[in-house]
Amino acid sequence: MNSNRVAAAAVVAIAVALFAATYWFEQMPEGITRGFGAEAFPRLVLGTIIAFAVLLALGSPTSELLPRIPAMVWYTGASLLAFMALVPLAGMLPAMFVFLIALGMLWGERRRWFLLLNAVLLTAAIWGVFVKGFGVQLPKGLFF
Amino acid sequence: MEAFVAGLALLLDPKILLVVFLGTLIGIIVGALPGISGSTTTALLLPFTITMGPVPAIAFLGAIYCAANFGGSITAILVNSPGDPSASATAFDGYPMAQRGEAGRALGMSAVASAIGGIFSVVVLIIAAPLLARVAYSFGPPEYFALAVFGLSMVAMTGGDSMLKNLIAGAFGVLIATVGQDLTTGVERYAFGIHSFTDGIEFIPVLIGLFALTELLEQASQLKNKLWVAKLGAVRLPSWQDIKDCSKAISISSVLGTFIGILPALGATTAAMIAYVETKRWSKNKAQFGKGAIEGVAGPEAANNAAVGGAMVPTLALGIPGSTTTAIILAGLIVQGIRPGPHLFTEQPLLLYAVFSSMLLANLLYLALGLGFAKVFARISLIPPQFLWPAVFVLSVIGAYAPNQAMAEVWVAIAFGFIGFFMRRYGFSPAPLVIGLVLGKMVEETLKQSLLIFDLSWGGFLGRPIAMTLFGLTVLFLLGPWLLQRLRDRP
Repeated sequence: MNSNRVAAAAVVAIAVALFAATYWFEQMPEGITRGFGAEAFPRLVLGTIIAFAVLLALGSPTSELLPRIPAMVWYTGASLLAFMALVPLAGMLPAMFVFLIALGMLWGERRRWFLLLNAVLLTAAIWGVFVKGFGVQLPKGLFF
Repeated sequence: MEAFVAGLALLLDPKILLVVFLGTLIGIIVGALPGISGSTTTALLLPFTITMGPVPAIAFLGAIYCAANFGGSITAILVNSPGDPSASATAFDGYPMAQRGEAGRALGMSAVASAIGGIFSVVVLIIAAPLLARVAYSFGPPEYFALAVFGLSMVAMTGGDSMLKNLIAGAFGVLIATVGQDLTTGVERYAFGIHSFTDGIEFIPVLIGLFALTELLEQASQLKNKLWVAKLGAVRLPSWQDIKDCSKAISISSVLGTFIGILPALGATTAAMIAYVETKRWSKNKAQFGKGAIEGVAGPEAANNAAVGGAMVPTLALGIPGSTTTAIILAGLIVQGIRPGPHLFTEQPLLLYAVFSSMLLANLLYLALGLGFAKVFARISLIPPQFLWPAVFVLSVIGAYAPNQAMAEVWVAIAFGFIGFFMRRYGFSPAPLVIGLVLGKMVEETLKQSLLIFDLSWGGFLGRPIAMTLFGLTVLFLLGPWLLQRLRDRP
């Protein structure tokens, strides 16, 4: 199956699901909606999206096969989620410190002292500018 | 005139001078970093402008926008990897010039052509924006609705190659703008019980996700690509002969770039590509193009910087973004509580003229910085991705978190990072989505107001000639290329 049709099918599936969701919007009396309820505009937009997606599917198919997503992209994506999981446990600043070193190593950097120095300087800069300078309260972890 | 003089006087304020200088410096640096475009930077730095106040905030973002286009040419010439997409055409001849040892000459011409194009377009902006605003002052909701639809139709040309995919992405942007409470009825839409979605999805985390985090994932797939860097001698001003040789290219490209920039949603990248083709067409040395013609550097650079001022015309006068970066700047104005449009010229002329004068200053500053410190900026472009992108992520997290101090916003940024990655993989550019998101509220509000005026009859638009002209242009624009193709294919 060519990538345009895959994309069009995904777009239609999302649009239909969002269209269906408009039926769960709270219904208001005619006096408040004045003939144009909260669901009207999203339905208009979703109808347009479905029409464009059908045109995309009917258009000339692409012969190109998409290359596989490199494993590094998945690892990087997973590291972003791991960072989010670490924040409630360790706090935002320590999580950032760990992330700066971990992603650098994951991407092939082997000069550990450079990574460590980079992480220390950046985390300190963020603490100085945002916590001390702007007074931003960063999330604290269970232990810090 | 008084407002313009007052706007110029604002440049004497040390705070404004400092933010314009910092904006220009950051703009050149990030423009020089492959993968980080002007739009990524403005998205990333948008949260930090919230505390600045409207004038310095917009002056800062405007300076970044002006300087990033020039910064992109540094890596385009030295590394053959444009730091900003708008510098793609510059690499066609800039890199061959660098390979034969003329990197300094190419960078010098790039700085001069960029500054001339940029200053020309700001002058046009100063003249054209108030005129356009005067025309638009009589616009009612139907005309604004038609204008917003026209602006949305222009996203067909933004970002990816497929018009349909661009339109779908733009429509999804409009849909995302509907999340949260409906202003008329108070009904919650697509909040799915998530408390922070009740007031709608904030611009900042979406922009950070779509630009910075999408690019981070994109970079993860390109780690094996190695760059070859040309040696850079002293950067020098172009000779009189060079300027004479390129004067036609710079003039044509400045006008073209400004005009293309003014068209809603078409930005610097399109301007530079068209200018490259036109420069080649009008040149006496066509055979040299692609092999290191200095006109091939001057044309696109004048055009992409001219498009910056041009793109600000509809953004400020009508509230319709002229490009992806101006869509982000527009979001910045909205975050500051300012909705651009014709009324701004009567209500806040000082703000506008401060923007104009700071853009003029930014163009002069990057000329000086570009010629003086190009060697330093060239070194910055070589920061290894293992250090650069983790730092971008950390800045993205703090940028998404800081405005509301809510982790939910960081989740939104990460979610849109993944969405943007898969969009790009299937040929959907995030740029139209951003333009749709910024215009979404305006489209819905003006449509509702129009239908109320017309007693819920769509036929009411027929009695509004300006709106009908804009609808006609929209249809022509969308169907024109297809009709032309059909005519060409006829036996």
